[in-house]
Amino acid sequence: MTGNWPLELVLAEMTVLVLLGPLVTGAIQQMKARLQCRQGAGVFQPYRDLVKLFRKGTVQADTASGLFRVVPVFVLAATVAAGALVPVVRVGPAAFPLGDAVMLLGLLALARFLTAIGALDAGGAFGGMGASREMTVAPLVEPVLMMVVFSTAIAAGTTELGALAAHRGSSWMLAWGAPDFLGFAAMLVLLPAETGRIPVDNPDTHLELTMLHEGMLLEHSGPGLGCMLLASHTRQIVTLGLVAALFFPVAPPYGGAAGLLVAAAAFAAKILALAIYLALVESSYAKLRLFRVPQYLGVGFVCALMALALRIL
Amino acid sequence: MTAETLLWVLPLVPTLTALVMLTTGDRRILSAIDVGSSAILAGLALLLAREVAAGGPRALGVLRIDDLGLVFLLLLVVLTLAVSIYTVGWLRQAVAVGNMKAESIRLYFALVHLFVATMVVTVLADNLGVLWIAMEGTTITSAVLVGYHGHHHGLEAAWKYIIVTTIGISFGLFGTVLIYAAAAASQGSAGPGAMSWSAIMQVAPTLDPGIVRIGFIFVVVGYGTKAGLAPMHLWLPDAHSQAPTPVSALLSGILIKCALLGIIRFQTIAAAAAGPAFPAGVLLVFGLISVVVATPFILAQHDIKRLLGYHSVEHVGIVALGLGFGGPVGTYGALLHVVNHGVTKALAFFAAGTAIARYGSRDMRVIRGLLGVAPFGATFLMLAALSLAGVPPFSIFVSELMVLRAGIGGGHWVAIGIFLAMVVVIFAGLLHHAGAMAFGEPTATASREPEARSPLVGMALLAAIMILLGLTIPATIDEPLRRATEIIVD
Amino acid sequence: MSADTVQTLIDDLGALLLFTMILIVAAGQIYRAIYAVAAQSLLIAIAGGILAISTGNPDLWVIAGITLGVKAITLPWVLHWVVRRMDVRREIEPVIPIAATLALAVLIVVVSFQLSASLGPVRQAITGNALPVGIALTLTGVLVMATRKTALTQMVGLFASENGIFFTAMAVTQGMPLIIEIGVILDVILAALVMTIMVLRVRSTVDADIADLDRLRG
Repeated sequence: MTGNWPLELVLAEMTVLVLLGPLVTGAIQQMKARLQCRQGAGVFQPYRDLVKLFRKGTVQADTASGLFRVVPVFVLAATVAAGALVPVVRVGPAAFPLGDAVMLLGLLALARFLTAIGALDAGGAFGGMGASREMTVAPLVEPVLMMVVFSTAIAAGTTELGALAAHRGSSWMLAWGAPDFLGFAAMLVLLPAETGRIPVDNPDTHLELTMLHEGMLLEHSGPGLGCMLLASHTRQIVTLGLVAALFFPVAPPYGGAAGLLVAAAAFAAKILALAIYLALVESSYAKLRLFRVPQYLGVGFVCALMALALRIL
Repeated sequence: MTAETLLWVLPLVPTLTALVMLTTGDRRILSAIDVGSSAILAGLALLLAREVAAGGPRALGVLRIDDLGLVFLLLLVVLTLAVSIYTVGWLRQAVAVGNMKAESIRLYFALVHLFVATMVVTVLADNLGVLWIAMEGTTITSAVLVGYHGHHHGLEAAWKYIIVTTIGISFGLFGTVLIYAAAAASQGSAGPGAMSWSAIMQVAPTLDPGIVRIGFIFVVVGYGTKAGLAPMHLWLPDAHSQAPTPVSALLSGILIKCALLGIIRFQTIAAAAAGPAFPAGVLLVFGLISVVVATPFILAQHDIKRLLGYHSVEHVGIVALGLGFGGPVGTYGALLHVVNHGVTKALAFFAAGTAIARYGSRDMRVIRGLLGVAPFGATFLMLAALSLAGVPPFSIFVSELMVLRAGIGGGHWVAIGIFLAMVVVIFAGLLHHAGAMAFGEPTATASREPEARSPLVGMALLAAIMILLGLTIPATIDEPLRRATEIIVD
Repeated sequence: MSADTVQTLIDDLGALLLFTMILIVAAGQIYRAIYAVAAQSLLIAIAGGILAISTGNPDLWVIAGITLGVKAITLPWVLHWVVRRMDVRREIEPVIPIAATLALAVLIVVVSFQLSASLGPVRQAITGNALPVGIALTLTGVLVMATRKTALTQMVGLFASENGIFFTAMAVTQGMPLIIEIGVILDVILAALVMTIMVLRVRSTVDADIADLDRLRG
């Protein structure tokens, strides 16, 4: 499906997302720190970490192959490409065939797959364990995301995110039907899983027993690790942007530059709200044991299934 | 006193009795009030019967009496009277042994009469919602009574009873709501009129058949749980065996019949709205399943009261079969079976209760040689067992024969074949159990006390009715049954 | 309030009710189940209020108020009190794994929708999704009662089932006649009372949950 939003805007959106990703992570960390009565490291700490990493050298295990060196680049590329598909300010399809929500989920899945492959390639115990755990969670998360996308897409008749947003119109509050409540509930259940946060995974830990995502990153170092971290920041903001596009699209009522600014501000507000949600969930709950995670994700699965059923029946 | 006022007085009598009983603790006074109140209730019911026979159905507000309800009402009051008489002697013995605590007797009596009051409302209810509320009321009061002895088996049985029947009754409520919706849609507006059975019957042919079908299935599952139809019967053997014997007699004798009355009321609505074949088919299936499921458990049973509980499941299945076969013969037979089984089962529970008290155990292998130590009780036990097995000249034979005739007349060969096979098997099993209990050398641990009089009087009353109905059906009973059949069949 | 708005609102409430139902089925701890059923009753009371506004039927206000007071506040509070006092183990033990129960719940929802789709002309007169959601709620409440070993969770299932029936009655016929509704609520209260007494009685004598007793067999 093609519309009239130019390539430059799409590329600009993608760049903005990549640049703002670490900011969102920093904001969540800061909120968590405040909630835990700590001072926190500041909102821009992830940027400082990234800069530090890119300046360092790489250390690689003897058992790793050339693939291991290349994986971080590919993962970052896949995630950034996924970022291009998320509508930040545009409300309508791009001027060229870009790709839809299914492609977005596929790119994220590709990134996850490559991360796991890289971790396995390094041959360390932590890498293998983290990869296997992450892959246990992945088959429960990705189909549910697909179902949620489909349940919202059926009403719009398209899975292209920009077109979806346009279909919702300018008043998202009344555009919500019964299935949207359930779909949104499913997304809220899945957000911690997709972004690697409590109660599914602990992003601050480096203890063996509690790692899922971190386990796969352990063997990387220097710029490689920097790419992987940037990829996970981008993945987080892409997922939040997906939720915003599916459930809270707001079409700018004004045209031109003013409209774009309003849309950008609205996008920032939505991302901030979801970030606050993530921070609150992380501070309120404990990490689930691994064998309880399927039960937790099962709730999301059932919600998504019911959303789809309500939409179809 | 007009018939309409009688309608409202009838449930008030046991309610007031219950309140009065809470005031005193003396066992003799309580028993006297108990018997007196049951006698008054029976007298009033007979008065009402005469009014209905003379002038047709009467109604006032949410209560209504027609011949169908009359049959169940008469069964209820007769059984209540017999139970009251039986309780006089039974209670004395139970307190002496320690099964009942002297200070909780008044609560027991009060609960029994509240239980009877809720059952009276069930039988007299015209409003389907009131029917449901009263049904749930019977569950609540009888659940407390089931666990009254206080030991763990009793509480376990009471819990299972209240949970399973409340689940079932929720289905029944849902079915009621659906039928109410259909009636409201066809009447054009909702209101109390749409819940009244008599009002719905008048517009029944115009009800949406789809909704009525689904509603009827919910109702059969729901009220069928209360009635003891398989596969919803799992609570019944536990509850009926763990309860105190007079309560077991009431539960098996009349409560499950009240649930059947609920089903019959909805069956008439469904037959008018969706055609008689549909409800008949549903009842046929459930009846057959009940008969088949109950039989192996009857054979393998050691506990005498559990045996009687499973028997109730089977006989409720026979009533459902009779209603399922339909037609005037089948329906008359089903209603007659309701009366016959109620009387016989109560008699059986009475005899079993005295035998258990005498031998101190419920196990049938322990109870031996009853004829030697308690000739009258043993005779009644044998009579009840023979009757339950379907031997002439007792009443159950007559009603089972009618149901059989209806099945053959309707051409349901498979159902009849299964039914006959089960009946034969149960005949053999029951006779074996009863004979082993009655004859032979008395067990050493049996108490040799002389038999208490009042339980025997209660049992004699029921046995007389049982034999009478087996030999002939007097006009005073035949007329209401005939008219009730007309209400259902036409 | 226009008929369409009412329909949308009732549909939305139906979706939220389905969500609370999932929470009850998937609850791993007794407290979560109790809060979920309280939230469910609250939503039903709101639905009653909306219908009362749109139809102007005063009975519905009474029903909504009673549902709020009794089923959203009092009964969950009683359950909460029993849990605290009894020091019962907080984990809910299912008879079949929770994943299987969730699958059954989904199946029930799909079946309910199919069932109400087959109902024909009366179906059109009923507000939107209310009937299938009501059926699903009732059947899932029964599912919870049948597949849990804790007595208190069985009671929660009972309340959820009654909620489903109430919702159906409200949406289908704007509630049953007031007397009947009050009678039903009274019955639920009495049943809950009797059950609570039984649970406490067994708890005080044997250190076991009453729903766990299974010595009667055959």
